[in-house]
Amino acid sequence: MLDSLLALGGLVLLRDSVEWEGRSLLKALVKKSALCGEQVHILGCEVSEEEFREGFDSDINNRLVYHDFFRDPLNWSKTGEALPGGPLGALRAMCNRTDLGPVTIALDSLSWLLLHLPCTTLCQTLHTVSHQDSCPGDGSPVGKVHVLGLLHEELHGPGPMGALSSLAQTEVTLGGIMGQASARILCRRPRQRPTDQTQWFSILPDFSLDLQEGPSIESQPHSDPHIPPVDPTAHLTFNLHLSKKEREARDNLTLPFQFSSEKQEALLRPRPSQATSHIFYEPDAYDDLDQEDPDDDLDI
Amino acid sequence: MAAVATCGGDAGSAGSAVATGSKSNVTSFQRRGPRASGTNDSGPRLVSITGTRPSVRNGQLLVSTGLPALDQLLGGGLAVGTVLLIEEDKYNIYSSLLFKYFLAEGIVNGHTLLVASANEDPANILQELPAPLLDDNCKKEFDEDVYNHKTPESNIKMKIAWRYQLLPKMEIGPVSSSRFGHYYDASKRIPQELIEASKWHGFFLPEKISSTLKVEPCSLTHGYIKLLQFIQNIIYEEGFDGSNPQKKQKNILRIGIQNLGSPLWGDDICCTENGDSSHSLTKFLYVLRGLLRTSLSVCIITMPTHLIQNKAVIAHITNLSDIVVGLESFIGSERETNPLYKDYHGLIHIRQIPRLNNLVCDESDVKDLGFKLKRKLFTIEWVQDNYLRQERNIYPPGFSYLLKQKDSAWGEGSLQHSTFLMSFLAKATAFASRLVRHSEPLKQTGSGRICQAAGPRLWHDGRRQEAPGLLGIPP
Repeated sequence: MLDSLLALGGLVLLRDSVEWEGRSLLKALVKKSALCGEQVHILGCEVSEEEFREGFDSDINNRLVYHDFFRDPLNWSKTGEALPGGPLGALRAMCNRTDLGPVTIALDSLSWLLLHLPCTTLCQTLHTVSHQDSCPGDGSPVGKVHVLGLLHEELHGPGPMGALSSLAQTEVTLGGIMGQASARILCRRPRQRPTDQTQWFSILPDFSLDLQEGPSIESQPHSDPHIPPVDPTAHLTFNLHLSKKEREARDNLTLPFQFSSEKQEALLRPRPSQATSHIFYEPDAYDDLDQEDPDDDLDI
Repeated sequence: MAAVATCGGDAGSAGSAVATGSKSNVTSFQRRGPRASGTNDSGPRLVSITGTRPSVRNGQLLVSTGLPALDQLLGGGLAVGTVLLIEEDKYNIYSSLLFKYFLAEGIVNGHTLLVASANEDPANILQELPAPLLDDNCKKEFDEDVYNHKTPESNIKMKIAWRYQLLPKMEIGPVSSSRFGHYYDASKRIPQELIEASKWHGFFLPEKISSTLKVEPCSLTHGYIKLLQFIQNIIYEEGFDGSNPQKKQKNILRIGIQNLGSPLWGDDICCTENGDSSHSLTKFLYVLRGLLRTSLSVCIITMPTHLIQNKAVIAHITNLSDIVVGLESFIGSERETNPLYKDYHGLIHIRQIPRLNNLVCDESDVKDLGFKLKRKLFTIEWVQDNYLRQERNIYPPGFSYLLKQKDSAWGEGSLQHSTFLMSFLAKATAFASRLVRHSEPLKQTGSGRICQAAGPRLWHDGRRQEAPGLLGIPP
């Protein structure tokens, strides 16, 4: 479910589209992890920092560690504020973190990163970042890493989308009907069947999640109203169903190719006419009654 | 005499003992070969490596894939020196299971393992291998398992179509450890002592290459080069290609490569159609096959071909591998609700079987193979088998009046019987196609003749509509 999205860890893809935007869901999830006491890092590439921080309380804002790549993505101003290596360097730096405790990394947005970085490098880095907790080198327990990536699915072809989907632990596709937003959550646990659920929700102005039931579905006629559904088994010249008596009669029947005991006895019982058997021969008009062997003419 | 003596003394050596002392022999032909009563450990003798057997068809040395059902389909097993390519299913559940069965079979037989992966540490992969079913205590539980699974319908013996019960079934049942293939319990882990007793090498890509290294562009992706070098080193150092003559006991090297071609290997074949390294995967397979053919090794590769964007590359990959098996699972697809497939977890497609030293290959003529995964067994069956096991699918219940009378003139194999059957079936499909087209049943003319033939027809607006047939559920 949507509120336990962050329980699994790993990469969570938020796929949004033009009609159903996902940044508010991203901010809601960021707010939730900040309230849980986790460390939150944000890679802001698509919108400015002020726009992202808008709507958050001050205590949440204080908890967010914001890496700004929107203002100066290529580091032209060379002020030294920006991190070396761009967003990729920042991600790699997060791979080797020394402090323990759960961390949430929000990528705003993954589409921007896909368009500016080669897909394979991005996949490898994301894999390393999201799998840090699986193999602790020195045995100390490392907290879970959650990577939330906002992906605009209309910007990318099936190749990169498929590659990122296979990498992700959870995939949330946003959609909805008539103003009501829904999230289709596909959860891939490592060795189990993937689970697929749909959750209706709405985001309140202070970016908290409000889970809802689905909208009332009006009964829609499935088939065309002026053609009633037809029963093909009516009006047949033959019988497609068996009554009970008929079924019993069918079961009691001995089939011709079954070798039952009666047949066996019938065959074994000596028939009266079996001792003498006569062959009656009546010659036809065309039969040759010549007793001679036609081969006698041959002089060998 | 001298020559005979030297011959007897050097009976085991491969070198010839011809040159010296041949003068005293009558003939110049010398016997070079193993003496039956001679030495007991030296000498060329029949190579018998544990876990292998020669193929009954062409004498190739075969190893088991870990799944006896798959071995049967591939003509007895996997030939040594070949590549088994598994096209992954969408969520990579069953292909990783086959991968693990292969490795577990290697451990049970004492083969050396080489596990290469870009997303999981090979030590973790080995920890998750399934436990083998080795002793006969398991046979009792196994039989109970099979018995409980049988539905009540299948227990009824068929009366009319009893010949379908004589169809050959796939061999199921655990076998003792001396036999060729073993069975595994997918719910239990392999005992730790078996892993420790086995010899294995792991290749985990993020450890082998450092990500900050600036890679010069070349035709093969960097990760693939590293993997090929690793495999070559292992083959050479451990003498699988016969280069180390002091190796007395021959063994098989089982190589397992997981998720080859995914972006984690650095290959962008799954991301774009025409990338920079579009040929690196095919070159890798070519070089790998060369390495395998000259050594006593066998390789399994799982590849997410459903992600590959360029379909021509899939054809190249199929040609460069020896055996190609595709898995298609029903999870999340519309086939899950199809009644024909209700007992199966997916379909298995044998896409290619190699012709090794042969002109023809052993391709089975059964095309619809389904697999199902139970706790202790991974069965592969012909999909129609399950469907035909229910007799009512062969003879619909409308034939009751035929069989009611004992001495009915319509015997089972009679001409009237079969023509009735044919006309009934034709009428039924005509009904179904009429329903699709006009949404109302055919009015009975009473003469018993069909006015229009069944089959796909063009609508008046030019679209084709197919008749759903007897298997479809009428609307």
